Amino acid sequence: MNKLLIVDDEIEICEFLKSFFEDRDFKVAVANDGARALQQMALCQPEVVLLDIQMPGMDGLQALKKIKELYPKVKVIMVTAVETQEKIEEAMRLGADNYITKPLSLEYLEKDVQDKIDILAKGS
Amino acid sequence: MSSHVRTPKTVLKKILVGLVLFSLGALAAYLLPFLIPSSGISNPWVHHPLLPILVMTLIFVAAYKNTERLIKKFLEKYFFHKKTFAQMTLMDLTGDLAVNLDLQEISNLVVNTFGEVLQLKTVALLVPDTLQSHFEVASAFGWSISASKKIRLASDTQLLKKIHQTGPHVLMRGPVLQSLSWQEANALAHDLDSLQAAWVIPLFVKGELVGLLAFGALVPDTVFDQGDFHFFREFAAAIAPCVHNALVVKRLRQLNFELQDSQSQWVQKTKLNAIEKLAAGIAHEIHNPLAIISGKAQVLLMQKGSKQLEPNVQDALNTIVKQTRRAADITRKLLMYSQGSRGPQEWIALEKVLDETLSLLAYQASMDKIEIVRNLDPELPLFFANRQEIREIFLNLLLNAVEAVGSEGKIVVELKYLRAEELIEIVCSDTGKGIPAEHLDKVFNPFYTTRHEAVGLGLFVTKQIVHRYGGSIRVESQVGVGSMFILQMPYAAEGARSLGMGTERSGVQVLGAGQK
Repeated sequence: MNKLLIVDDEIEICEFLKSFFEDRDFKVAVANDGARALQQMALCQPEVVLLDIQMPGMDGLQALKKIKELYPKVKVIMVTAVETQEKIEEAMRLGADNYITKPLSLEYLEKDVQDKIDILAKGS
Repeated sequence: MSSHVRTPKTVLKKILVGLVLFSLGALAAYLLPFLIPSSGISNPWVHHPLLPILVMTLIFVAAYKNTERLIKKFLEKYFFHKKTFAQMTLMDLTGDLAVNLDLQEISNLVVNTFGEVLQLKTVALLVPDTLQSHFEVASAFGWSISASKKIRLASDTQLLKKIHQTGPHVLMRGPVLQSLSWQEANALAHDLDSLQAAWVIPLFVKGELVGLLAFGALVPDTVFDQGDFHFFREFAAAIAPCVHNALVVKRLRQLNFELQDSQSQWVQKTKLNAIEKLAAGIAHEIHNPLAIISGKAQVLLMQKGSKQLEPNVQDALNTIVKQTRRAADITRKLLMYSQGSRGPQEWIALEKVLDETLSLLAYQASMDKIEIVRNLDPELPLFFANRQEIREIFLNLLLNAVEAVGSEGKIVVELKYLRAEELIEIVCSDTGKGIPAEHLDKVFNPFYTTRHEAVGLGLFVTKQIVHRYGGSIRVESQVGVGSMFILQMPYAAEGARSLGMGTERSGVQVLGAGQK
């Protein structure tokens, strides 16, 4: 079973994403900020992370940096509301694998997550 | 001074001297026989016919100098009254000037009084311009206004150089030209000719040259004597501080004005900045709830393994997804609208950007039965600009036009290349309700709007963009007939935007293309 970590400070967003991906046979973990995201990384060992940029405490960019340091193989898709060009560029520079903007198209998101998993499967 | 010059005054003096000497001689010759004692001595010389002539000659020689001096004194006395009157008038004037701080009024008073009292042909008062690099005419007497406005004396002209050498002395054309080499004399003569002046009185305040009073005489050989020049120096010393003060006041006013101007610009900038931040904040805060609404609807729509949704429910969910996307687009546009996006410049085809913008409005326009016509110059060149900014120009113009027309009407967009002027011209005309004449000058003001729901930034932002490209925008309108916005941007001015934009400020950029 593929494992996915959803990181967003909006609980409702985490919830509908969780139900959506669980419906598609993912094992889904949820975190509401960067620090908890790192805990969940250790616990669940997900293949793909959906990471919000703007969060209280440790924000998405800091979390992204840590994740890529500790788990270089994990694919990270940034989820943004409205972000500055620099932040998105920064995220891509830090190793983010893609970014999508809210409101999300779940169809597109599902496809993208599946792509990342396929890439991982090919690599291993 | 210049005694060799024959003026009516000197001729009169000579005649008077001649008359007086002749009468003295005649009197002496007549009295001679009575003066010589005739007691018995018969002197044949006494009755010689040449004796009176000899006596007269002797008296002429002996009394010439004294008589001339006397006559001169007498004449001076006669002319003295006139001079005192002139001098008093001018000194009175300096009293009036001391309480005046308006440069224009001061200079008008000086040149007019000076010119009239001394019966001069031309008088001009020159003062340093605001940058202090040139002297220009503040006021002139006996000049045509247009001619006086053309005079600009650079600080390195021969006249000003010479004045800095000679100090507060009155500069006299004749003597000073003789004292110079021919090149310098030529240059100086040129300066004096341009000022139509034979004399220049410099106005110094504590070693600083604050003005020049240049004047020329009505009669070519008018002369002033040493006393006159002494008076001119006194007069100059009296009016110089007044001119100086007025200049200082003028500069202060100017600085104050500039300060206010930059302050209002700053206020405007911070205002816009605040709107930007507000728009960014709103967009951010709205996108999260929108994501939740749309997400939940999509979860339901894309549920697997459960029973098929009722068609009406499915419809509703689809509408929710579609409408949330629309709402997100609006906030995104709001953000772009407030930012005036900052991005790279490239060679763009204006007609393509126009088409992109038109496609955004096509639906609304067709709903409102508005016909939009494009009128393209077949030889329209590529334009070096930021695509987003040009799109914004078109969008703002078209949104305004659509709004003005309301329903049923026509909008014409023309793109022209004015080859001779090297200008790109964008003309957007509509058959809308028009703008009342009293509002025409306000339409480009920020927050000016006739719509309740609008922010009133569209044309303001458009104007800002056009100005960034070194262009201009104006509007012609007639109530009930329609409006026409005319934009012109220099085609070749690639460097016109090097200031103010580009790398200096890298603001918020919205990514609309995140999901492909």
